[in-house]
Amino acid sequence: MGPLIPLEIITGHWDFVIALLIGGAFGYILEASGFSSSRMIAGVFYGYNFVVLRVFFTAMIVAMVGYLYFSYMGWIDMSLVFVLPTYLNSMLFGGFLMGLGFVIGGFCPGTSYTAAAIGKIDGVVFAGGVLLGIFIFSELFPFYEDFYVANNLGNVTIGEMIGVSNEVVAFAFVVIAIVAFYVTSIIEKKVRKNMTEYKFE
Amino acid sequence: MNKKYLFLALLMLLLATGLLILPERHNFQQMKAENLMWEVVQPTRYVTVDQVAMMIIDGDPTLELVDVRPINDFATFSLKNAINIPFDSLLNPNYQGYLGIEDMNVVFYSNDDIRADQSWVIARRMGYHNLYVMKGGLNSWIECIIKPLKPDETASLNEFEDYEFRKGASIYFTGAKLESSDKKSSVNVVRRKKGSAVAGGC
Repeated sequence: MGPLIPLEIITGHWDFVIALLIGGAFGYILEASGFSSSRMIAGVFYGYNFVVLRVFFTAMIVAMVGYLYFSYMGWIDMSLVFVLPTYLNSMLFGGFLMGLGFVIGGFCPGTSYTAAAIGKIDGVVFAGGVLLGIFIFSELFPFYEDFYVANNLGNVTIGEMIGVSNEVVAFAFVVIAIVAFYVTSIIEKKVRKNMTEYKFE
Repeated sequence: MNKKYLFLALLMLLLATGLLILPERHNFQQMKAENLMWEVVQPTRYVTVDQVAMMIIDGDPTLELVDVRPINDFATFSLKNAINIPFDSLLNPNYQGYLGIEDMNVVFYSNDDIRADQSWVIARRMGYHNLYVMKGGLNSWIECIIKPLKPDETASLNEFEDYEFRKGASIYFTGAKLESSDKKSSVNVVRRKKGSAVAGGC
C-alpha cells in the first residue's frame, strides 16, 4: 500500500503538492502550539519552558511507533522508505550550529516562518537570515565539501548501527521520552518558582 | 502531574511494548494477480538476441544481463558482463540488490527462455520493474549471433540486413576473422584477335 510514490500508486509529480499540504499543516501546528514565540523556544535553554522538547519528542515517538505498526500490518514497506544518509562530522557540527542559532535567535527555521507569517518583525529578520544563510552556504559549498561529506555512514538507522531491531529502538525512545517529560516538568517548576522577570499563566 | 498526560504516556508505553511482543511477520509487497496475468500475456517483456547483441556492442550502461542457469553452466559459458543469479537463488536476499537498481534494464536469460520467463514472473511478483527476457535464450544466441545462417536468395532485404549485422556481431563475440569476399580469382581474358585492317573503302 505504501509508500505511495516508490510503489507508483501516485506519480512523483505529487511530491510538491504533498510537501505543500504537509508544510501548511506543520506550520499551523507550530503556530497553534505557540512556537511563533521566541521566548518559548529559547525557554528550553534557560529551563523555564520545555514545550519544544515535549512536542517534538511526542511527534517522534508517535511517528516511530505508528510506522512500525503500519509496517506490521503490511500498509507500508519500510525497506522503500528513504533514510537520509548520515554524514557524521557535518551533522554534529550542524547540530551544534543550529543549537547556537536556536538560543541566539529564539527560532528554528520552521518556527521563524510561522512567526513571520503572523507579522513578527524578529521572525521576518530571522527568516531573511535563513535565506541569506542558504545562499552563502550554497555559493561557498566547494570550500567545505570535503568536510561536509566526511565520515559518511550511509543510509543507516539507529537500529542497524547498534545491531538491534527497530522495535527495540522505538521502545527505548518511548521510555526515554517519558522520562524526559517527567524530569523536564520538575526542572520547569523549580526554575519558574525562582523567576521574577517572566510571568507564567 | 495532569492525569490526561499520565494516561497518554501509559498508552504510548503500552503500544511500544506491543511492538516488542508481536510475533515477527514479513509483508512482501507483490503485484495483484490480475495485473500479473495481464503482463504475462504481453509480449513486451521479450527482447531479441539481436537487440541484446546490439546493446552489448554499444556498451549500453543500462543493460544488466542476468544468467539464471546453475553456477557450473555459467562458468562454462556466459554472455559478456552477465551476472549469475541461479534460478533457485532468486529469492535469496543476498541477490536482491542486483534487481532493484534504478534505471537499469534487467534482461534474464537461460538456455531456452523458459527458466528466464519463470524468473521474470518471480521477480515481477516481488515488485521489481524494468525486467525483460531474452527470447530464445542462449540456444537462439548461438543460432543467430554466433553461427548465423545465410538467408535464401529469395529472402527479404530485412533478413539480409539482419544477417549482415549478425555476421558482424559474430566476429565481435567470437573474434573470428573477417571473411573477405574479394578473393582474387583468375579471370579469363578473351582478347579479340586482331583482325586485318578493313579492306576496301567505302
